Amino acid sequence: MSASDDANDTNDTNDTNGADDAGGIDLEAYADVWVFVEVHDGDVMAVSWELLEEGKKLTAKTGEDLVALVIGEDLDAVVREALERGADRVLVADDPVFEPYRADPYGAQFRAMVEERKPSIVLIGGTHTGRDFAGRVAVPTHAGLTADVTEIDVDDDGLLQARRPAFGGDILATILCEEHRPQMATVRPGVFEPGEPDLDGDFATVDEAITAVDVVVDESETISEVLERNVGDTTDITEADRIVAVGAGIEGDLEPAIDLAEALGAELVASRAAVDEGWVDGSRQVGQTGKTVRPELYVALGISGAIQHVEGMNKSGTVIAINTDPNAPIFEHADYGIVGDFADVCPRLAKSLRERDLAEVMP
Amino acid sequence: MTWTIVVGVKQVPDAKEVGIDPDTGRLDRANAPAVMNPPDRHALEAALSIKDVVDARVVAITMGPPMATPVLEEAVAMGCDDAVLITDRAFAGSDTWPTSLTLASAADTLGADVVVCGEETTDSSTGQVPPGIAAHNGWAQLTYVEDLEPRPDEDRLVAVRDVEGGYERVAAELPVVVAVAYGEFDPRPAGLHRKLYAENDFEPIEWTAADLGIEDEVGLDVSPTSVGGMETVDPVDRRGEVVDDVDELASRLAEVIA
Repeated sequence: MSASDDANDTNDTNDTNGADDAGGIDLEAYADVWVFVEVHDGDVMAVSWELLEEGKKLTAKTGEDLVALVIGEDLDAVVREALERGADRVLVADDPVFEPYRADPYGAQFRAMVEERKPSIVLIGGTHTGRDFAGRVAVPTHAGLTADVTEIDVDDDGLLQARRPAFGGDILATILCEEHRPQMATVRPGVFEPGEPDLDGDFATVDEAITAVDVVVDESETISEVLERNVGDTTDITEADRIVAVGAGIEGDLEPAIDLAEALGAELVASRAAVDEGWVDGSRQVGQTGKTVRPELYVALGISGAIQHVEGMNKSGTVIAINTDPNAPIFEHADYGIVGDFADVCPRLAKSLRERDLAEVMP
Repeated sequence: MTWTIVVGVKQVPDAKEVGIDPDTGRLDRANAPAVMNPPDRHALEAALSIKDVVDARVVAITMGPPMATPVLEEAVAMGCDDAVLITDRAFAGSDTWPTSLTLASAADTLGADVVVCGEETTDSSTGQVPPGIAAHNGWAQLTYVEDLEPRPDEDRLVAVRDVEGGYERVAAELPVVVAVAYGEFDPRPAGLHRKLYAENDFEPIEWTAADLGIEDEVGLDVSPTSVGGMETVDPVDRRGEVVDDVDELASRLAEVIA
């Protein structure tokens, strides 16, 4: 099928929805807030529960149902947890074709569910997986898709207000989708806080709340194949209470940073510059193209404080900056700073902290 | 078989030169020089690296005003065989849906086996266009790609993808859209002869929306999303206290983690 054929098909579909508004679809036919629960090998990505909690706030305003979508294989525990965490209903597509993740089967399945059940709002974590397949749902359904959202709300008419940083983070743009449905958004991990599961809840009606959907994907129709998957260190830096971050200024000398992180019981993260140099793994990158973190303590070593980095850490409690350049912008984004070489400051800081710990423990 | 490899490139304001308008306090992008979207250089390198091992023709495409031509010249200087400028007032106001439709349509018209794009653009940073191209055409996609192994005997392209906490190797059937992880594929320098050719003798092919048969499918009217407003972000209020002594800093730290 050519691209233009595909586009025409989409419009034909819209026309048959029998609408008379400008966008050609019947907006009233769409209801409920869907949250995609991202599962790999039985492990749920934390952002899914962050979105479920945020979704509760939206449905509290719209009076609609909060629906969790779970796609993968052997999902009973995940389905149960989605209910414990507040989903009114769960849609489950449980089949080996979905494990490990591939864009084409996920996209086709999700699209079929959207077209059949017509959600008004669909929230997807802005992970590599979420950003990979969201377009395969939004494009064929001609839905509005907003990327990397950091604030979400609905107005009195149920119109989603999806806010995202623009132009390197200095501006927050509100993106609307007025005449198309669903209103889809990928949302940055770590921006929202997950709620607590209600482990004592009465889930007597649990069977009614769970719908096993028809699996529309067949392995023989897939166009991609996972040959190898190697996932080891899955430390989630968005969960860390204390963080030591390194930037270009450390020039590959990680030891002092690791020493300080150990003294603090902190996770090590990095700016894009340090990740691009290969000093730290990309899963530990903080900033506009990495993750958003919100620790109690953030210690920035050799980080200049470019707006793209600050955007990923400005929800931190207390920020400490160590940098040789007294004019580095990071000092404006820090609570306490010291002008100095991190390789000199870190060991002294670590030693001082360890001595304090001892003093507190010893009678 | 000769592979046709299409590379999407875009002209963006140079992020390093975007300043603040002293009168309005808003970002001043108009005065920033226009440059090639930096991640696209890595996409070009990825495309040319396929051509290093597979019989291939590499064509750069861009969607933009005629003044975007320099990014195509740069692509040709780096080693692309040809380039297409897709330009039309009908595209004005296009969000990622019609943009990816346009590029998908051009890739289809060119008979692309592989489409290579950067991870995202530095001006809008949605990352949605490469998967959008694949979705419009019903093609396979490989995003966050760090390494490529072309397998022409299988009509497949194998990629190493960055995934949270690790990596995976995925094989995709042709045609396939590739989005290259930013920072991977170190771009090769342009040769002097190619540079001179690109700047003096080369003329890109020009297509309009009508040439692609999509004149009713682009622009503001078919864009599902719109900008409802912009607000400047207030910086988080920090103490900004610089101390002289490591022990004093340790005391501050100890207070926080107590």
